[in-house]
Formats: sequence, C-alpha cells, structure tokens
Amino acid sequence: MSGVQLKDIRKSFGALEIIKGIDLDIQPGEFVVFVGPSGCGKSTLLRMIAGLEDVTSGVLNIGGKDVTYADPSKRGIAMVFQSYALYPHMTVAENIGFGLSLAGRPKVEIEAKVRAAAESLQLIHLLDRKPKALSGGQRQRVAIGRAIVRNPDVFLFDEPLSNLDASLRSQMRLEITDLHKKLGATMIYVTHDQVEAMTMADKIVVLKDGRVEQVGSPMDLYNKPATPFVASFIGSPKMNLYSGVAAEGLGCKTYGIRPEDLTLSFEKGRWNGRIRHVERLGADALVYLKVEGLGDMVARTLGGAKFQPGNIVWAEPDATKEHRFDL
Amino acid sequence: MRRTRPIVVGGISLAVSAVVFILPFLFIALQAVKSRSEASRLNFLLPKEWLLWDNLVAVVEARNYQLLLAYFNSTVITVFSVTILVVFSAMVGYVMQRRKSRWNSVVQGAVLIGLMMPPAVVPTIGLLQSIGLFKTMTGMVLIQVAYNLSFSTLLYRSFIGTIPRDLDEAAMIDGAKPWQIFVRVVMPLLKPVTVTNIVVQSIAIFNDFTNPLYYLPGKENVTVQLTLYNFQSMYTSQYNLLFMNILLVTIPPLIVFIFFNRQIVAGMTAGGVKG
Repeated sequence: MSGVQLKDIRKSFGALEIIKGIDLDIQPGEFVVFVGPSGCGKSTLLRMIAGLEDVTSGVLNIGGKDVTYADPSKRGIAMVFQSYALYPHMTVAENIGFGLSLAGRPKVEIEAKVRAAAESLQLIHLLDRKPKALSGGQRQRVAIGRAIVRNPDVFLFDEPLSNLDASLRSQMRLEITDLHKKLGATMIYVTHDQVEAMTMADKIVVLKDGRVEQVGSPMDLYNKPATPFVASFIGSPKMNLYSGVAAEGLGCKTYGIRPEDLTLSFEKGRWNGRIRHVERLGADALVYLKVEGLGDMVARTLGGAKFQPGNIVWAEPDATKEHRFDL
Repeated sequence: MRRTRPIVVGGISLAVSAVVFILPFLFIALQAVKSRSEASRLNFLLPKEWLLWDNLVAVVEARNYQLLLAYFNSTVITVFSVTILVVFSAMVGYVMQRRKSRWNSVVQGAVLIGLMMPPAVVPTIGLLQSIGLFKTMTGMVLIQVAYNLSFSTLLYRSFIGTIPRDLDEAAMIDGAKPWQIFVRVVMPLLKPVTVTNIVVQSIAIFNDFTNPLYYLPGKENVTVQLTLYNFQSMYTSQYNLLFMNILLVTIPPLIVFIFFNRQIVAGMTAGGVKG
C-alpha cells in the first residue's frame, strides 16, 4: 500500500496548459475518484500518474518515492484502460500473465498467479479464449485481472465502465468496490459519471479546466459544495442554480437549492410556478416548474403525488439546505 | 429490365476481362506445345503434334540447365530481399506511426521520394562498382530492398495506424521495453499486412526483369526472367521454347497469387480505411 502525492503538477502541450498546478494528497488504501466534464484534464492527470504522459513541472511521489520521471513499470502501478487494451493475439491466460512473463518469472509461478487472479474474477473457464470471444464484462474482468496479477500498490482506472451497458455497469461497480476492500490497495478512478463517483469513492476530486475545484468525501461534496460548478456536477437531477438579479434578491451571487430539498404544495410556499412536465420514476417523481422571475426549477416529490402539468403550485425550500455562493 | 441489366453488364465485363487476361495466357500455352515451325506462325491454331514434354525438356536442358540455376538465383534473391524488406519496413513503419518527432516529416519526405523518383541506373552501377557489390547477389538483394522499401513502409505504417495505441501503453505498464512492445505485441498483429507485403513483393522481385538485367550481368548470375533471352536473338527466335520458358517462369508467382489473393486484398484495404 502506498499513498500518492502530487505537488504543483503541471502539463502543457506547446503553449496550451492542460493541467494548471494540482496539489493532491492521496492516502494509502484510499479510493479516490477524479470526476469532471470532458476536457477537464482528468484522464491526462491519471496518465501522468501512470507515466504515460510526461510531467511538465511539479513532483509526483508514489509510496514516498519521487517517480516524476520514472518508467511506468517502475512506479508500482497497474492501469485498466477504457478500451480494456487486451492483446488480441493472446489468450486470456497470456493476457493476464504477460507482465510476469516479461519480468522473466518462472512458468509455474506465472501459471499459479494467473489462476489465482482468474479464480477471484470468475474467469477460470475462459483462460484459453481470445479476447474477441469474450463479452464486454468479461473483457473488463480480464483487464482487471491483468492489473491484479502485477500486485501493484496503486490501481489506476481510466473510465473503465463507460463501454458497458447500464446493468453490467452497476454490477462491475460493486465488483470493483469489493476488490478495493479485499486488496486494500490505493485506487485512483477516473470517470465523468457522478453516480460512479458518489457510489464508489472514499474521496472525490472534482476537476475543472485543469484545476482542482473541490476535494472531499461524496457526502461532503453533496452537502457543502464549494462552488456552483461542484454543486451542479454532484447530485442527480442537478441542483437548481440561480444567478443575477434573482440571486441578489436572495442575498448572494449564486443561489442553489437541490430538487430533493424543495417541498411542493397547492397552498403556500416561497415561489409560485406552473408545472411544465412531470417525470414519474416510480418511488418518486420529478416535477419541472416554470417560476416567475426565477426561471426553470426541478423538484423531487413522492411518486404518488397528484401534481399534473399545468397546475399552479408553491415551492418551499428547506431553509437549512439552501446554498449561497459568492461566485 | 432492371433485373437483366446487372447480368448483361456483368457478362460483358467478364467477357472483356477474359479477352484481356485469359487469351494471352492461352496463346502462350498454345505456342509452348507446338513445334518450332508451327509456333513461328504465331496463331491460335491447334498444334498438329503436342510437343509439351519435348519442349519442356529442351527448355530445362538449354545452356547446361541454366533455367535451374536461374530458379535458384531468383529464389535466393527473392527470399533474402523480402525478409529484409518485411523486417525493416515494419520497424520503420512502427516508429513513423508511433513516435512523433521533428524527424517524422523528413522521413516521410524520404519515403515519398523513394516512391516517386525513378531509379538512376548508371550512377547506381557506379556506386555498386566502387563498393565492390556490382555483379553480386548481395548487391542485387540490397537494390531490391532499396527500391521497394518505401512501398512496404507505407503499407505497414497505415496498418499500424489502425492498432490502438492503448495496447502499446498497456504493454509499457506491464513492463515491456520498446523492442518488446514491437516484437511481442505489435508484430503478431501485423500478420495480415505482412502476408500482403510478402506476396506482393516476392512476385514483383521474382518477376523483375530490368533490375537484374542492369545490375546483375554474368552467366552465373542469371535470374528466371533473363533466361527468356536464351531463345531470342536478332535473327532467329525459337518461339515454341520461348513460350514454354515464359510458361515455366509464370507458374510460381501465379500459384502464390491464387492462394493468397484474399489476404492481399484484405491487407491492402485494412490499412486503407484509416490513413
């Protein structure tokens, strides 16, 4: 187990600065998720930790050692790629054991380790297959197996679930979380999906335009977003955010209230609006309102609530859960 | 009307290609089995006497079994040049595709020049003489490699462009050194384009007439295409033997082509989709 420290890490492609000075301290055994919109530099940052991109300036420590300029294979890391990057001409067993065979380990040892990894990932019956004969989820597991067998201090995941369908994705989410509990290794996971970030992370790092926007536990970020960007990024559906004149009336530059912190009624409330649309999800329903002088608003209500499009309703925010930003 | 049109068009194009491709071959085969006097008339009439075996023996035995020596020489030149070509052009193609540096445009230019510029014969002979490689098999092999390297390199380069870079990076993280990435990860994936390269280049080199004529003179250096001169002279031509010789020389590449036809097309187009 090793921690990872980033000190003022920067990356430029020519004159264009992609990563604009990132300081980050990742504790040994922590599950850290980098999250942000596409183009925010999260994948680049991960690839810099992996050693696949050069660091323009700054210091990168893994397990207390300076590895800023070390070879990827000397950093004690393993990486799972978005495309899985399985070697198409090798069987599953050869794919998993490739790193060991490069290191010149004896055949018996390779075989034992490959079997152990395959067993823990339920791949035993697939060991002789080529990647093209596997399903997406199986390929993903082989890619994870290839990472496990190297026994790394730090696992790096680059959007590993984005090529899977929804049900498989939630299953693999659980498997990766279990893997983290079992191995206790440090894991760094890149995703643009805030649900993955919320469900898996010990610590979320929200990135925007090459800078760290906020670092914290999932519930910290949910309850106390530092900026309107984090507020809008974490949570689904998005927080209702208002700026300009409407927000000034509420005593700040940007005002935010989450859909689940609004109470709708026909009798009273702070805002009055007309219902445009109701999305019934079963257990609860999302009500889309048009509020005079404020704009669009989403509220989460019970699934059985009797609101219909066209109704005029009142929305009352939970006063303890209002967010006021000076940005 | 709409149904019959493709059939009519297809039939016509088949007939045209038959005339263009099969008639000449038929003509060669016909002359090859005739007697000398009949063959000299150069027509499509069937021979009075079928002299297949006699002509065959005469061609093989001519000039103290020169044809066999020619087969040997041509095979040696082809095998060595194609081996060197495949190894080097795969490596050059890999580096050109994967490693971006200032030199890329220079190398790219050099490869294009190699493809476009016609080779200058006299200076090349002068060069070969000065380094003692004129009239040697080594010299011939090097010439063939030099002339064909550009084409092979471009084939490899565009094919390597279709191999995801993630594979290189995964191998790098697995601890592979650059040459290990090439040999153990990239090379095995190049099989289709390697087959294309081998087939196209060996046919071209085996069938080459002009380059051996210029750079490899000498009785002991004869290659298959040059044996055609045996039966042709200014005043007399033994057409029956000449065409038998052509037939014998054509057969090896033809066999290769028939067997690898599909792979050639596959390899060519696989690289062509993403440039």
